[in-house]
Amino acid sequence: MVRHVFINCVLCVHFTEQVHPEEGKLEWREMTDRAANTAFMIELSKGLGIVMSHLFKEPATINYPFEKGPLSPRFRGEHALRRYPSGEERCIACKLCEAICPAQAITIEAETRADGSRRTTRYDIDMTKCIYCGFCQEACPVDAVVEGPNFEYSTETHEELIYNKEKLLENGDRWEPEIAGNLQADYLYR
Amino acid sequence: MSVLPKFRTFFKIIKENGGVVGSFLKLYRTEELKDGTLVGQDKYGHKYYENKRYFIARSRWVDYADDVGMDYDGSQVPPEWHRWLHYMTDDPPTKVPPVTRKYILDHIENRTGTHEQYVPYSTTKPKVHAWQSPRAN
Repeated sequence: MVRHVFINCVLCVHFTEQVHPEEGKLEWREMTDRAANTAFMIELSKGLGIVMSHLFKEPATINYPFEKGPLSPRFRGEHALRRYPSGEERCIACKLCEAICPAQAITIEAETRADGSRRTTRYDIDMTKCIYCGFCQEACPVDAVVEGPNFEYSTETHEELIYNKEKLLENGDRWEPEIAGNLQADYLYR
Repeated sequence: MSVLPKFRTFFKIIKENGGVVGSFLKLYRTEELKDGTLVGQDKYGHKYYENKRYFIARSRWVDYADDVGMDYDGSQVPPEWHRWLHYMTDDPPTKVPPVTRKYILDHIENRTGTHEQYVPYSTTKPKVHAWQSPRAN
């Protein structure tokens, strides 16, 4: 039903239309239904039912640190310098990792050791510069620098994240069981 | 879907966590009560459980040793179990032992904020030495 309203104007004539649906007739039945809904709080109890159903549902979140999320064997976390099974450090100071590092986070200085082999005297990684791209471990010809599986090394100060050679070798010594396992799991694809 | 098995699981969980008191203490510490099979225990006393009824990421969990109390931390999991706990492998170290090397060190937790924290230092000899007056000595 369209209701036309004439507005007094000299030159033009304006019409308005009713756009919302027309109100129905209020029957006794609808009135009592509405009153019952209000009185018995049906919407509220329905909402409470949804709350209860979600209370007994299995949660979709994981309870860290007791449960932990899945990681790939190729996960790129905290860096480590590895050793050969004999205990000799792998790094030969070729500086390929330093060259490829897009964030220039690696600093290497090399010297000849007393026994004549070429080794690093300085191997610093600024973990706050590192972007964890993994180019260093891909560049390494002797699998010396790897990005280990550890990601729980957050610190309270910045300086603790500027790793030197000793710290990186120690990381490798501590995480070798897992690093070796991950390399073994993935060796066909590398 | 009947309700009865749910009740059975509920009572099983309570029983496996050490009765009403044990369950209360467990709930206080971990905010979670679950039932599962003990897969193994590492040398630090952390116990590792598995129950495939839960979905992946909830199906394996660690119960930290009692002596760490409420100071449990994610970094306390040693590398051999870390690998299993993060679903990188399905074989726990009790089944497939990890490599043994004589240089492998014991695992330590993240020690930031303690007096044992890592402090960076230079591993090279300084290239520039300050001049010292020969008359000083």
